[in-house]
Amino acid sequence: MLRFLTRRTLGAAVILLIIAAVTFFLFFAVPADPARLACGKVCPPETLAQARHNLGMDQPIFVQFVTWLGGIFVGRDYEGLGHCPAPCLGYSFVNHAPVFATIVDRMPVTISLTIGSAIIFLVFGVGTGIIAALNQGKPLDKIASVSSLIGASVQIYFVGTLAMYFLVYQWQVIERPQYVPFTDDPLQWAYGLLLPWIVLAIIFTANYTRMTRSTMVEQMSEDYVRTARAKGMSSRAVILRFALRGTITPIVTIFGIDVASLIGGAIITETTFSLQGIGRLSIQAVLNSDLPMLMATVLLAAAAIVVFNVIVDALYAVIDPRVRLS
Amino acid sequence: MSARTRSALAVLAIGSLALTAACSKGNAGGPATSSAPTASKTNLTELFAPAKITIGTADDSKGPSIPPEGVVKGGTVNMIDRDDYPHFDPARVYDNVTSNFHELITRQLTGYKRVAKGEYKVVGDLATDAGQVSDGGKTWTFTLKDGLKWQDGSPLTSGDVKWSIERLFAPYITEGPPYVQQWLTQEDYKKSYGGPYGGKQLDGVDTPDGKTVVFHFKSPHADANYALAMTGYGIVPKAKDTKEKYDKEPFSSGPYIIAKHTVDKSMDLERNPNWDPASDPLRGAYPDKWHLEFGFQALAVTDRFVADSGDDKKTFSFYSHVAAERTQAVVENAALQSRLLKQPSPYGDYYYFNLDRVKDIKIRQAINYAWPTRQIQQISGGPVSTVVNSTILNPSVSGWQDYDVFGLKQHPEGDIAKAKELLAQSSNPKPTIVYGFNDTPTEQRITVAIKNQLAKAGITVVAKPMNTKTWYDSTSKVDNGLDMYWGGWGADWPTAATVFPVIFGPVHDGGYNQSHLNDPAVKAEIARIQTLPNVDEANKAWGELDKKIMETITPLVPALNDVGLQLHGSLVGGAETDPISWVVSPNTIFVKQ
Repeated sequence: MLRFLTRRTLGAAVILLIIAAVTFFLFFAVPADPARLACGKVCPPETLAQARHNLGMDQPIFVQFVTWLGGIFVGRDYEGLGHCPAPCLGYSFVNHAPVFATIVDRMPVTISLTIGSAIIFLVFGVGTGIIAALNQGKPLDKIASVSSLIGASVQIYFVGTLAMYFLVYQWQVIERPQYVPFTDDPLQWAYGLLLPWIVLAIIFTANYTRMTRSTMVEQMSEDYVRTARAKGMSSRAVILRFALRGTITPIVTIFGIDVASLIGGAIITETTFSLQGIGRLSIQAVLNSDLPMLMATVLLAAAAIVVFNVIVDALYAVIDPRVRLS
Repeated sequence: MSARTRSALAVLAIGSLALTAACSKGNAGGPATSSAPTASKTNLTELFAPAKITIGTADDSKGPSIPPEGVVKGGTVNMIDRDDYPHFDPARVYDNVTSNFHELITRQLTGYKRVAKGEYKVVGDLATDAGQVSDGGKTWTFTLKDGLKWQDGSPLTSGDVKWSIERLFAPYITEGPPYVQQWLTQEDYKKSYGGPYGGKQLDGVDTPDGKTVVFHFKSPHADANYALAMTGYGIVPKAKDTKEKYDKEPFSSGPYIIAKHTVDKSMDLERNPNWDPASDPLRGAYPDKWHLEFGFQALAVTDRFVADSGDDKKTFSFYSHVAAERTQAVVENAALQSRLLKQPSPYGDYYYFNLDRVKDIKIRQAINYAWPTRQIQQISGGPVSTVVNSTILNPSVSGWQDYDVFGLKQHPEGDIAKAKELLAQSSNPKPTIVYGFNDTPTEQRITVAIKNQLAKAGITVVAKPMNTKTWYDSTSKVDNGLDMYWGGWGADWPTAATVFPVIFGPVHDGGYNQSHLNDPAVKAEIARIQTLPNVDEANKAWGELDKKIMETITPLVPALNDVGLQLHGSLVGGAETDPISWVVSPNTIFVKQ
């Protein structure tokens, strides 16, 4: 296990470094000049040069990259602004706030959004999947299949906008979604995020229903299930102890990827519901040519994927004794 | 710039994340076009009468400000918009949205006092009047009012004013306006002085006593008091100047203090106990507290104001316009009309000719006559969202004179016969025009309208779609390979002194003289007017030059002027889109009980 973790961690570091480098160099391939944005409307060439220098963009790109990378481990000194302690991701080109602090500030929103919706789509998705599988071909199965198909077909910007328009503004059955920290008031936290959770879950649930149903149906016809049945085990025990365990492996895989991508930021959801999470930060960074913020959000999203992949792999071993990590 | 794009108009407000949403040309998406909204029967000419701006007296410069009708003091007002402000150090502020916010915490020597709806006066803000000019317009003297204080109660002195001008030369300040610095020294002003931090003082700004500031400019500048009203010339306390860090820890001279600020999320303002309304002719500062929240797209803002429930009743927005997809519904909803603000933009919008390529004035004038103004207006959302403009100067600029040389208002559908007549006399009766356009859905449709219309007069339009992100960079190249393209420019203060010298100024890559006009007579006239010591005389001369350029050179087709539509909550009073800054000024806002 230790060897497995060491190997994977090293691999992850290499992947992140590659992603960081590619993002950094691609940024400079785009014809947008952040220094122009730090130079007034009437922008004489000398002032533009000064603005470029102030942003550190007059250095060769490779030097800029190494400086940026070094900041993460040992911190960086900014002329006039002082020392930015490690892990220093720089100052935003746009709002001039330290990027790391901004990420830390937005993280709770994104994590709350992820946890809530993940619980809903996992419970409902797997639940309806099991029910559909056990009632194969019956009306319940049909209902579950059709609704999951619909759920998988709709988009957040469609459902979310409709939900906001009707539930919040027209009929006013639920208050406008907003983020209240869990530590301030757990009830308000849940109530404020309920609508985004549900909307996000609608999109994801469908996948789990379909995946659970098909794997479960397959598992139910496996030899070991038949053997357990033949030996007189109750169907409840057979389903929960054997069939479900076999079903869970692919579910864990997609669950890991889904949660990781949500932590990287639910851009459309956050925009639709005006929530200030990582997703909004990343889209703003792209639109504003805000290199330091862009690097941070890209790295965060990539790190989430890498980390959850390691977790999923480790979980395989726990769920399925046939898998060996070495 | 919501999502900040680099489309042409966005360039006007560089540094502001804000404006793009409001004015990204051709990104409107736009409501269905064929039917012009019918609910509003307002007299557009009266509604969109340009603001009158005059110079006020010492009496006008006394506080308190003129209260709006039915004003109530106290309470908390909420403000929602998409973006937070990029800078809190006034020296680093240029765009209209950030400047508007700074009304709450920053004061300048001068400012614009709202006297009545559409009527403004340039008055002394910190100064006792709008400035005393001598030496033929080269020397400007300002006297500070009595008892001016910083937020900690320490006195605001002429030393602070001098310091605030000196620090603009420091290398870390690159974002603000360059004018006053250039007038005091030279074009490339950073070379002449490096800022006060090394202990060196700037020549040209004298402080004979604690209350008097004298500016000695190299040449006459009749509208220096307009320039000094910019937030970029806001006063910073010498004793609290922390250089780069000041951008995060501003010290208030205005009516409020920032009590809490979470970057890009929210801000709370509380009263500044050391601000005296009797010293301030501009700011009403009626609410006790301000709560600002950021992160709301135009659609969310519009829907919240339409629903008008709970605390949203006490909420307004500085710059968010009605979302394009809701425009039709909002203008046709009678119940919303009392809460709907309409204001044409103060910017100039043009379809420039490239004078290096379209050399025959007859062809340029023929295109003006044939121009499909009405069709473009329909595509852009009808007369509720746009007004026809036939001059180079925006009507909000002082000295603007209305004229309509090519009948854009009389024949908005285009005068094909007249165009053909001119073309017949021209060097090429069947010209081909390469038209570059910003490749957005609305601009695509406008381009089709232009193409079809000009074809009727015998002009072939070759339309070149161009990337929105690089639009400005491509069209502002001198050798851009285009005959016509859209461009925009906003005056930095409402006189033509920051319009003509720029849009008909130096020709270079990335510059703003996009027609490449290089006419000796025009240049001489611009230079002459710039040195006129009397501002009224200068304004009159600018207005005349406007018409003369259109008649004798015709470097452009005047484009439509966008009308900003803004909603606000029902318990917010005094909300008005400022005709100069095109955003809702905080100065008159109050909360109804």
